[in-house]
Amino acid sequence: MKYALRKLGMLLLTLWAAVTLNFFLPRLMPGSPADAAIAKLSQNGPVSAATRAAIEAQLGVPGGNLFEQYVHYLQQVVTLDFGVSFTFYPEKVSDLVLTALPYTVVLVGIVTILAFVIGTLIGVLAAWKRGTWLDTLPTLGGSFLSAFPYFWIALLLLFFAGYVGHLFPTSGASSPTAVPEFSFSFIADLIYHATLPALTILITSLGGWILGMRNAMINTLGDDYVTFAEANGLRGRTVAIKYAARNAILPNLTGFGLALGGVVGGSILVEQVYGYPGIGYLLYNAVVNQDYPLMQALFLMITVSVLIANFLVDILYGVLDPRTRR
Amino acid sequence: MTTNTTPARGAEEPILRVENLTVEYRSEGFEPVAAVKNVSFSLRRGEFIGLVGESGSGKSTLGFALTRLAKPPATIVDGKILFHGSDIRTLDDEALRKQRRGGFAMVLQSGMNALNPVRTIRKHFHDIFRAHGHVEAGSFNARASELVRKVELPETVLDRYPGELSGGMRQRVSIALALSLEPELLVFDEPTTALDVLVQHAVMDTIRQLQASEGFTAILISHDLGIVLESTERVLVMHDGVVVEDGPSHQILDDPQAEYTRMLLSHYADPRAEEIHIPGFSTRGRSADAARAERATTSPRSDARAARRADASIVVEGVSKVYAPPRRGEAPVVAVDNVSFTLAPGESLALVGQSGSGKSTIAKLVTGAEKPSSGLVRFGDSNLSALRRRELRELRKNVQMVFQDPYAALNPLHTVEYTLLRPILNFTERRGEAARERMLELLETVGLTPAETFAQKLPHQLSGGQRQRVVIARALASDPQVLVADEPVSMLDVSLRAGVLGLLEDLREQWGVSMLYITHDLLSARLVTDRMMVLNSGRVVESGPTADVLRNPSDEYTIRLLDAVPNPARARETR
Repeated sequence: MKYALRKLGMLLLTLWAAVTLNFFLPRLMPGSPADAAIAKLSQNGPVSAATRAAIEAQLGVPGGNLFEQYVHYLQQVVTLDFGVSFTFYPEKVSDLVLTALPYTVVLVGIVTILAFVIGTLIGVLAAWKRGTWLDTLPTLGGSFLSAFPYFWIALLLLFFAGYVGHLFPTSGASSPTAVPEFSFSFIADLIYHATLPALTILITSLGGWILGMRNAMINTLGDDYVTFAEANGLRGRTVAIKYAARNAILPNLTGFGLALGGVVGGSILVEQVYGYPGIGYLLYNAVVNQDYPLMQALFLMITVSVLIANFLVDILYGVLDPRTRR
Repeated sequence: MTTNTTPARGAEEPILRVENLTVEYRSEGFEPVAAVKNVSFSLRRGEFIGLVGESGSGKSTLGFALTRLAKPPATIVDGKILFHGSDIRTLDDEALRKQRRGGFAMVLQSGMNALNPVRTIRKHFHDIFRAHGHVEAGSFNARASELVRKVELPETVLDRYPGELSGGMRQRVSIALALSLEPELLVFDEPTTALDVLVQHAVMDTIRQLQASEGFTAILISHDLGIVLESTERVLVMHDGVVVEDGPSHQILDDPQAEYTRMLLSHYADPRAEEIHIPGFSTRGRSADAARAERATTSPRSDARAARRADASIVVEGVSKVYAPPRRGEAPVVAVDNVSFTLAPGESLALVGQSGSGKSTIAKLVTGAEKPSSGLVRFGDSNLSALRRRELRELRKNVQMVFQDPYAALNPLHTVEYTLLRPILNFTERRGEAARERMLELLETVGLTPAETFAQKLPHQLSGGQRQRVVIARALASDPQVLVADEPVSMLDVSLRAGVLGLLEDLREQWGVSMLYITHDLLSARLVTDRMMVLNSGRVVESGPTADVLRNPSDEYTIRLLDAVPNPARARETR
């Protein structure tokens, strides 16, 4: 309990630091959002002073000294008020993010967890059956698949399963005609559309988990407590899972935490290739269009989710490893 | 215990018979190496035998083969292991697993690592009970409590994790776990090697008592002939994979037949004896004063060196070192408590105590690696706590460490030449050919000849004793005035110890290097030091000339340390 509280304290502290950094970093950059918007406009002809004033009024020019701005910013963060997007004007940034978020969290989140679980199980099996085909096949296959760039896998799947095979849709998160509602047909439609992006992420991330778990477990299999458990005649399955795998998984949890934190950042390229309207897609558009309010909100959200994911993994670590609970 | 038969020795069928057993290490692309060669022996029910040999003798390989725990690359290539008349090599996996209960069990060398760090002790017991079903589901906890009490632990350890127990407690737990299998044959593989002297003594007592009360047949594998002779009634001596001697303990002690056994025995002596004879050492029976007087007459090799060393004493005055509490709310740890001593040039001083007594902390204080919480450490006329970076460099040049573990103290990727050239280039003016000459000279000094050959070797191509010589050569490279040797021989085989100790002694006599010798091994302290300080919980409980302290100890702690020294000769008295 004390351990969890201490970790919670650390989380709040780093959250504050991240939020503060997110405030100061853009202010260190030269220029302002208004300058950027005007620069964009001036490509079509000279911009009058009145237009400039109007744009500045629209986007909001910071008033008061830095400290007042900071306090104001904190209030906005707490109320999730990140202003108005340039790209999707006049949509509010918070609305855009909240629309995109579920797509990414569900798609990438589920796939990440799935990849971790499946990869770890295969890794355990490979290590336990070391030297047999159950080891060689996933190990070789894992390194082979994880060597591919994932956007390339995405393109391959898109081409063969989408354009050539017509097995799955080639873009979007749902059919254009589908009505968003909580019904079987709509959910089935969502899953149908998410299959190819999910498969892409699964294929490319699985190998890493397999190899990581296999190698960690090969190490724990050589540990004395495993030999001693065998000497005591425990059943093979108990030795493999409760002794070897149970200890081997600990270092992999850290990687899992990072991967979970990365979920919200989305898989930019995958979402881009499949035209999937998630956070990654949004982020790409924000960056291309120099949409500062949207970018700031997205970066903040990604940072926060990485921190929270790490916090959760820390807590999990505490539960799984008595040595960290001190 | 089900097997507690009254020992009707001799007539009975042996519980274990090993016939012409050969075990090889086979890896692809390498010639197979035989670790156990054509070994035969048999074991009567209830017998307690010892299996002794130095590292690489094949004793552990044999132990693992006997309990069918040998894993590739170790392969049994020939011979039979008959347990109750049937060859255990023919057992299939499930039959083997089942017979682990009531059959043969093993306690591993590093009992501290033999427990799953993420499971409580209670779960370890339950795992075993569940795997064999020999304890009724309702009485798991009662049986577990009974077992930990047998190894003299409180029941509260059942709810602890292994990391919360000391090394000795963990080894006791693994003995209790092995006992829970109700084995007929128990193989102890170096059960106390990783433990502290006093703990080692206590754990061996427990093993002896359990063997007597539970009546299991036992094999005690150890590198330490002293421990084995004290505990067992029969001893097998192994050398190079061959059993060179097999006989009753008293016969091994009084009338050893094999040359090798005689060599092993010759390295044992009672540190309390009036005179001590160890091969490679001159008699050291005289009092320290006499020895010093004699040494004073043999002039140092170089006068300049002697002059430079005149003010090179290490003075420790009322030094304490307090570490922050390990957990919040606990008391701070006093590692060293008001210790004072002087190490004069050319003198050697032993710091003796079990682990946690503060002896290694003193080494860190003297080498400037740690700063004292209070008190003063001086080298010559400089105060160590006030040194700046450049002066610290000068200190490191003059005060060098010899580490305990020669396997970990050398970078496995660098040749001996590289390892030795680093300090020569860093600390001396020698460059190029001069540096190389000095490197070869150092190798000759520590007895690694031909130096040219050894210079090109990598650490893994050297034996433990040779590695420790390289570590000593490295410490000498900066031409230091003080050597701090932290357990320099505890990781080495008995037969190699004398060589390294003799080297340290020679260095002091010929070069006038003074030495702080840190150890728990009283015999080696007796061999290489003039004065001794006994530390207990950071405090000096006794000090004086080494021979006097050991022969007439006044503090109870010193007496306990002396009693814990395994000594083959004492086995005769206790028997």
